[in-house]
Amino acid sequence: MQTYILSLFVFAAQMNMRACLVEHWYQIMKRRTITLLMAALMATTLLIGCGNKDDTAGTGDKTYTVGISQFAQHGSLDNCREGFIQGLKEEGIEEGKNLKIELQNAQADTGIANQIAQNFVSNKVDLICAIATPSAQSAFNAAMSTDIPVIYTAISDPVAAELAKEDKSSVGNITGSSDKLPVEAQLKMIREILPEAKTIGIIYTTSEANSEATIKEYQAIVEQYGFTLETVGINTVADVPLAAESLLAKVDCLNNLTDNTVVSALPTILAKANEKKIPVFGSEVEQVKIGCLAAEGIDYVSLGIKTGKMAAKVLKGEAKASDMPFESIEESNLYLNTKVAETLGITIPEAANTRAIEKFDTITE
Amino acid sequence: MGIIISVFEEGIIYAIMALGIYITYKILDFPDLTVDGSFPLGAAVTVALITRDVNPYVTLLISFAAGVIAGICTGLIHVKLNVRDLLSGIIMMTALYTINLEIAGKANVPIFTRETIFDNDLVNRIFPEFLKDYKKLIIIVIVALISKILLDLYLKTKSGYLLRGVGDNSILVTCLAKDSGVVKILGLAIANGLVALSGSVMSQNQRYFDATTGTGTMVIGLASVIIGINLFKNMTVIKATTAVIIGSIIYKACVAAAIQIGISATSLKLITAVLFLIILVISRDRKKKVKANA
Repeated sequence: MQTYILSLFVFAAQMNMRACLVEHWYQIMKRRTITLLMAALMATTLLIGCGNKDDTAGTGDKTYTVGISQFAQHGSLDNCREGFIQGLKEEGIEEGKNLKIELQNAQADTGIANQIAQNFVSNKVDLICAIATPSAQSAFNAAMSTDIPVIYTAISDPVAAELAKEDKSSVGNITGSSDKLPVEAQLKMIREILPEAKTIGIIYTTSEANSEATIKEYQAIVEQYGFTLETVGINTVADVPLAAESLLAKVDCLNNLTDNTVVSALPTILAKANEKKIPVFGSEVEQVKIGCLAAEGIDYVSLGIKTGKMAAKVLKGEAKASDMPFESIEESNLYLNTKVAETLGITIPEAANTRAIEKFDTITE
Repeated sequence: MGIIISVFEEGIIYAIMALGIYITYKILDFPDLTVDGSFPLGAAVTVALITRDVNPYVTLLISFAAGVIAGICTGLIHVKLNVRDLLSGIIMMTALYTINLEIAGKANVPIFTRETIFDNDLVNRIFPEFLKDYKKLIIIVIVALISKILLDLYLKTKSGYLLRGVGDNSILVTCLAKDSGVVKILGLAIANGLVALSGSVMSQNQRYFDATTGTGTMVIGLASVIIGINLFKNMTVIKATTAVIIGSIIYKACVAAAIQIGISATSLKLITAVLFLIILVISRDRKKKVKANA
């Protein structure tokens, strides 16, 4: 009886051990197959990319592949992109006909901007369009050892970003357009509308190079117009309310740059400023629409179109990127919001009224 | 072919950082968020030095030292001031944001025209034409190998064993009449040194420093460590440090594949999360089944 139970026990143990071993083996095999599958999947996707060159139609017409690397999701940057595609179209390079566009957005992550640039280079695109400074720098870096031209746009200071020389000429197979803010025109306009204002306040984000460069420009010439400048640097969007409060206590008006973080928090700033009846000036038409008093802004779509035309020249072989100096838009346009002027009790001088290219009489939410 | 080389380049650069996170997360059992600050610290120190014409190889060592200092600070805050591990990391990470900006000088510092470890007279002379494409990769592998080998050697020393002890059972370390606090500080120092070194190599690879670099470093590092460790759990032939390096390459390959397919960068984070989950679930499976049978 005892031997019987013992043998039964041994048998059960043996079966259990076998089951465990089988289980163990099963688990290892499962893990190995999954690893192999994942590796195979990744290898195929990467190789498909490698093999995918632009298909040239049999008729001999060349299809251009353009990679657009945008740094972040943002109204002005989106406008640049739309303008760029339109500029290409105006020069005969159109999506659906002879153009294939690969659009990638780095979502404000420089690591991803790098990988996007490398992706474009290994897919051997004909041209890379980079929107905003970090994307342009990544593209320049990745394309340096190849002959893929890079056209950038929406960079406030290409010289500081080492993408162009002091005299606007190119440092390599790269050129583009700069969205430098018309600082002087803005100051003139503020003086025109507020003849007695003494201090201008600017909120900017410490991690945005464009803002840093523009503030230096302001500091250089703000006295000529009888102003003093007060600035507050923030790190994230959450810092905006407190920064706005502290600044509004000491200034006569606020001014905006093309600072992505600050512009995304503009409604908060406008709400606080309106409580204190302090006018806020914008840098772009969209900002005037949502409640800024006025702006000497450049049209981002036209900037994009200009860039698109430069790119078309390079694609068609009419010019080389290394020979083209970067361009910018010199003329700015005055946008006014008469509803805001009414609410704040400010009369806009006749000269400004007639000069304005667009006047808004409502505040869009 | 180019993309496979760049995946390996990126993967191995971030692998150095993953080695650091391996020390804090796995060995010390200390979720160290300082890395979001020490990674760009390495980058900031490097560009600051390179724009002042310091030898790029020396910048690697100085960046490592800077990371060590950052790690020591986190350790001191945790051990001496008794702040929770997560919070001391967060405090250092926030402090380092300002410090990095001060060190770099501006929010965006390009070094396209300067010499780096990948582009200087010595290196350009040594490499023959046919190896030019692989120049960067080879240099990165050398730096990573040196770090890994030194780390492996260290972990085998008495100090290294104490490090492993402190993570599992700090009372044991105290019984051995060693100060577990000092051991933790040492571990944090080495880990953040490695992370800063990785930041240094990365900034020389991409040739510019941007203040937004660094956000999300912890996630990348954690993903690499977890992928590596769990995938090679039962293969004792592969050391943990090697597994972490392979995990980093796999993670970067997944990101590259996702970009290739055309997935937007926002979905990338969701994909990372799903990948994490799958790997964690696969490795949990066996534990559950064994318990059920026993």
